[in-house]
Amino acid sequence: MNPWRSALAVFRKEWLDAMRDRRTLLVVLVSAVLIGPLALLALSGLIASLEAKAEQRELVVAGIGYAPSLRNYAERQTWTLREAPSDYEQRLKDSKLGDPVLVIAKDFEAELLRGDSPEVELVSHSANPQSQAGARRVAELLRGFNQERVGLTLALRGVALELLTPMKVQEVDLANMQARAAQFTGMVALIVLLAVVSGALNAALDSTAGERERGSLEPLLMNPVTGMALVLGKWGAVAAVSMLVAVLSCLSFLPSQWLLRSENLQAMFQFGWTEMALFLVLLLPFAAAISAMLMAVAIRCKSYKEAQANSTVVMMAVMFLAYVPMFNQTGEEPWHLWVPALAQNSLMLRVLKGEGLTAQQWLVPLFVCALLSTLCLGFVARRLRGAAVK
Amino acid sequence: MIQIEQLAKSFAAAPAPRQGFALKDWSFKRRAMPPVQAVRDVSFTAPNGHITGLLGPNGAGKTTTLRMLAGLITPDAGRMTVDGIDVVAQPQAAVATMGVLSDARGLYPRLSARENIVYFGLLQGMSRDAAQTRAETLAQMLDMKPLLERRTEGFSQGERMKTALARALVHDPAHIVLDEPSNGLDVLATRALRESLRFLRTPAGGSKCIVFSTHIMQEVQRLCDSVVVVSHGRTVASGTVAELLERTGESDFEEAFVKLAFPDTLRDRAGLRDANPALSPTERGQV
Repeated sequence: MNPWRSALAVFRKEWLDAMRDRRTLLVVLVSAVLIGPLALLALSGLIASLEAKAEQRELVVAGIGYAPSLRNYAERQTWTLREAPSDYEQRLKDSKLGDPVLVIAKDFEAELLRGDSPEVELVSHSANPQSQAGARRVAELLRGFNQERVGLTLALRGVALELLTPMKVQEVDLANMQARAAQFTGMVALIVLLAVVSGALNAALDSTAGERERGSLEPLLMNPVTGMALVLGKWGAVAAVSMLVAVLSCLSFLPSQWLLRSENLQAMFQFGWTEMALFLVLLLPFAAAISAMLMAVAIRCKSYKEAQANSTVVMMAVMFLAYVPMFNQTGEEPWHLWVPALAQNSLMLRVLKGEGLTAQQWLVPLFVCALLSTLCLGFVARRLRGAAVK
Repeated sequence: MIQIEQLAKSFAAAPAPRQGFALKDWSFKRRAMPPVQAVRDVSFTAPNGHITGLLGPNGAGKTTTLRMLAGLITPDAGRMTVDGIDVVAQPQAAVATMGVLSDARGLYPRLSARENIVYFGLLQGMSRDAAQTRAETLAQMLDMKPLLERRTEGFSQGERMKTALARALVHDPAHIVLDEPSNGLDVLATRALRESLRFLRTPAGGSKCIVFSTHIMQEVQRLCDSVVVVSHGRTVASGTVAELLERTGESDFEEAFVKLAFPDTLRDRAGLRDANPALSPTERGQV
């Protein structure tokens, strides 16, 4: 019998089987397709609230009455001052207070007049991102106050202010707007990678370990079909489900960017049809390879449960590899392209930064995915007969 | 015709579990066990238009023999041919002429009975239309028409068996190999199966060569044209029921089977009875 015809029959059956597993499919779609936009919306909410805080220019002070000159300066800079609550430390720890607290000692003003450099405390909590972001702005305000005091004192003595700044520093950030945004939106790449894996997971396990567990693999192999034709049909269906999840996951980011509350983030997160096409060029071969790999892992297992436990190793490996760029301070390395998941993640980050892909960057991961798929499918075909009777 | 000659197969045994736990003995290696000789020497011939029963106790090697015949396991020694096609050399050609109902009868729970049957028809090289028509015919024959459009999830044991049998016969094979087919069937379903097999044996039913394994004496007596008795991985006797009764000098087929399959046990029990006349008839080994 024509092996391609057999493979097509197996593909159709596996696809139908996977599509009828509505509950699993729904869980995959909810977890893989909705989680990305939801995370993006949550991030945009956080950034929008930080922006709103920055616009408020509110200074929370403990002991504001002890520093009339500082109050005068802050109000001239259009800041509004508010007395800190007595339990501000606890509130900062609990993230109930979103502003840093400036603590002023009782004899601040007297020491300032004597020129004794009075000390103030700027209290924030590094696990409270809003207070951290606010602390930078308040420190900037206090630096301005210092400069004004020094400037006035020296001007009274006839010293030119330029003497205090022998050199001017102009900061130039080479990153464009999308590159700056990539540090926030990098999680998009990780989310779609995991969506692809979770899309393939159930279909891969059901068509191998599941088939073995329910005792349908043995009768299946009693048909005049080669092991490779069976494996190709099964793999085709698993990869198709995974690819469908990849497409839906990418598609879900298109409308979600319109819902972003932060105008800055909206301007920075450019995910249009071009970015989606580039994502899919990277993700579809990965979906094929990860499907073959999950099938190879699962065919060794005697039960669905054992296969689930084994496949979490693949899931963890994908997550770990996707995090490599975060830990690696030396940037992209040429070998990254040769490692599945790491290559796709790095290249998707490039796409998000608005940088294009070279032919090599596209072809190397494609070759690796093809090689991995071939090896894994060969392994599954070789193990199929043994798996049926054990 | 199916011919099996001097078939043998052994399997590596699972290693023995460790007894207790001691740090000094801590090792990932477990004690290796000697290989299990599942089939030592099985031979028989099953002609066309004939029902051949493979009769043997549990663990006799019946299922392993049928799995080798279906091309799932490669034998260590021996030869199997189906209409002259060597199963080891041309497994796919041999399997295409057989319909095998194996020990494992798993169905696809999210597919209907019809879809399960048609899927196997497609894998046997049939067109979708031909497989659909054949599914209807088999449903009629096996009295499972009301089941055809239902998903197999939740099927009873008997319904599962009927679907699996229809799936094995979808391509109208010349050879039918059934491993304990009446397991899980009620009296009526077993009768219906028996009638179907009898019909398939006739020229009107296609003069099929039918081989089925069982450990149920009644089934063999009522259905089989010839019987192959398998014990401890060997063919110990073959012939018609009448021939086996004559050979053992018994009038009860169960007695004849025990004599053929467990001659050592009987001898031991006879020795025990002679040595201790005080034992009850059961204790003396009256089977």
